[in-house]
Amino acid sequence: MGTTNILIAGVGGQGLVLSTRIISYAAFKEGFDIKSGDVIGLSQRGGTVWGSVRFGKEVHSPIIPNGEADILLGLEELESLRWLHLMRKNAHIIINKQNIFPNRVLIEKEEYPKDIVADLKSKGFQVDSVDAREIARTAGNVKTENIVLLGRLSKLLPIKYETWIETIKENVPAKTVDINIIAFNKSRE
Amino acid sequence: MGNTELMTGNEAVSRGFWENGGIFAASYPGSPTVEILESMKKYSEIEARWAPNEKVALEMSIGASMAGGRTMVSMKHVGINIAADPFMTFTQIRTKGGFVLVIGDDPGLNSSQNEQDSRFWGKFANIPVLEPSNPQEIKDYTKLALNLSEEFGTPVLLKLTTTLCHGRAPVQLGERTEAVVEGFVEDQGRFCMLPPYANKQQYFMQERIQKLREYNNSTSINALTEKADADTLIITSGVSYQYLLETQPNASILKLAMVYPLPIEKIQELSSKYKKIIVVEELMPFIEEILKANGIKAEGKRFFPFTGELTTEIIRKGLYEAGILEEKPVINEKNIQIPPRTPMLCAGCPHRPVFHILKKAKAVVMGDIGCYSLGILEPFEVLKTNISMGASLGMVQGVASTLRKAGKSEPLVAMIGDGTFFHSGMTGMVELSKTKDNITVIVMDNRTTAMTGGQFTPTTGEYLEGKGDHTISIKGILEAFGIKDITVLDQFKYKETKETMLAAMKREGLSIIITTRPCALNFKIKEPYFYVDQEICISCRSCIGVNCPPISMKQYEGKDKKNSYINPDMCVGCSVCSQVCPVGAIKRSQKEEA
Repeated sequence: MGTTNILIAGVGGQGLVLSTRIISYAAFKEGFDIKSGDVIGLSQRGGTVWGSVRFGKEVHSPIIPNGEADILLGLEELESLRWLHLMRKNAHIIINKQNIFPNRVLIEKEEYPKDIVADLKSKGFQVDSVDAREIARTAGNVKTENIVLLGRLSKLLPIKYETWIETIKENVPAKTVDINIIAFNKSRE
Repeated sequence: MGNTELMTGNEAVSRGFWENGGIFAASYPGSPTVEILESMKKYSEIEARWAPNEKVALEMSIGASMAGGRTMVSMKHVGINIAADPFMTFTQIRTKGGFVLVIGDDPGLNSSQNEQDSRFWGKFANIPVLEPSNPQEIKDYTKLALNLSEEFGTPVLLKLTTTLCHGRAPVQLGERTEAVVEGFVEDQGRFCMLPPYANKQQYFMQERIQKLREYNNSTSINALTEKADADTLIITSGVSYQYLLETQPNASILKLAMVYPLPIEKIQELSSKYKKIIVVEELMPFIEEILKANGIKAEGKRFFPFTGELTTEIIRKGLYEAGILEEKPVINEKNIQIPPRTPMLCAGCPHRPVFHILKKAKAVVMGDIGCYSLGILEPFEVLKTNISMGASLGMVQGVASTLRKAGKSEPLVAMIGDGTFFHSGMTGMVELSKTKDNITVIVMDNRTTAMTGGQFTPTTGEYLEGKGDHTISIKGILEAFGIKDITVLDQFKYKETKETMLAAMKREGLSIIITTRPCALNFKIKEPYFYVDQEICISCRSCIGVNCPPISMKQYEGKDKKNSYINPDMCVGCSVCSQVCPVGAIKRSQKEEA
């Protein structure tokens, strides 16, 4: 198989680094060569953040080349629009129904874009719009929001269910393992 | 997988240092190298220390190396500027304990104030520079660096970049091999850099770099991948190599591990077999210029940008223009029609009320480096300058002196955080302590090096409930400098803070305000959230002006105008917005609801 390229987009503080880490470890445990990258630092304070995971037989660049991303995992709607130049035609987009207003929207200098999901569909992407917070809430803890999104992602990737569970166990705080697994399973239903 | 682990570049540095007998590591936190020292802490054989600045980190490391220990000092690219004084003299000395200087460059300025190319330090200071291209090489080159350091008696620069530091990939693990520590053996001729000892060392350095060049000519660390029938040779190093592989060029590739001193003779011999020599390197034409100076007809910056990170598509485009790729690459344009998302102060950040007051006061503020640099951005736009760590204090005196001489004096403010104050602010403060100009210095003592992830500062101890065994009082230091006009205040008492600040800015001479609220990220506020009473809100947007992530304007049903809204999931209950509301519309929820 070729390389699978996953881009994760979100807002600083949403837990993107952990999500990128879990996807990376799951692919690694499954036996793939893997490279990942993410931007941390200044952007942690509510700025634009992104992560990339690339896995396959042999991977060189940790950064996804322009136009080659197969899947976008958008933790926030607006941030999902920011990286479309990296996406393949007809790529999968898993998008969280979550709007976090950027500074210029808060101070009323710009409008938050409307109908993002419809816009993405009209561009030919295969869009899975997920109310991750609501699913997390019904699973028992809103903080499992990102795990809910990973549950959806897991259905698109050649990584075994058991590998995901093992990886989640090793990467979330010990006290929250059970609730995270419940949320992961619920989102895969 | 066996003994393989997924690691970031930063973790791979630490692992490599540990496996190869490292004993002392020091750093000052700065992106992208923060996690090198953070991940060093799990290795009990290593003493890993955060220093107050990079100069002290380097000086401690010099001592550790002179005592015979294998040593590492890591920093971001601008860190070496302040450490350059000891560094430029230390490199003259025949190194004892293996010494690795790790510098993380930030091409594209993801989290930095400039974009300097650290490879030049190698040439400037007569030391070798290694440039790995992935986490496995980072670990391997850390070992190589320690070995070269002891074999040739030289500090070695391991040069990384943001992408390399933060990127993850599988790394083969090894066991630790202890290194013998001889101890400090007196040798003034070796360790005292005064004439005539230092004069001799100029020749030593020349000879050392010559030997390293010979080593680099004969070593197998530089990898040549020859392509039959190709008439182009591409010379590259670092992460650019990985991007280059993605483009699959019809060319031979020489991947350099050691970019200074270059294996010139080897490249000269090799280049005679090719029609075209192309250099792919990030930032400045470092390799390209050395090759040209040695009569090799290399081209690089004609086809590749001098600023920003390289990417696979940028390299594709350059190779196409250089006639190496036949197909014109199709590059999707970035969507710039959507709102940007700049970083913001966190909900409950103690810097917020101070910026709000300074904006209303239309104060002229010299800024400094830290989270409070975000005060440059809208809507505050309060800080008028931003140069380097601690610069606000010297600069404010320069502005004051010039304005006074020109008959244009006005009240001035300088703003500095606690981490930056200890890093390089204290000497500026010594100079300021005798000023007669109207200058107000605001020390934002949030007990945290916040921007880099919340490392402790010398004032954190006071807040650690018995865990801190050491704490330094900034007020005590300033009093010792002979400064009398010092006010310590809690900036969440908005009205009192405003009155105090405005009064201080009116007073002639130096006044100091120390704000005491700790970082909201390290010392989380968990108070009941605030909400807007729609019956009272007059849509005046005073709360929007404090610019807190949970506060926005919202169209409520049955209302003509938008009213303000506070997202209860994001509000931490700091109360600042409720204090600026002129009509008392912002109220605290009950504890049970929170």
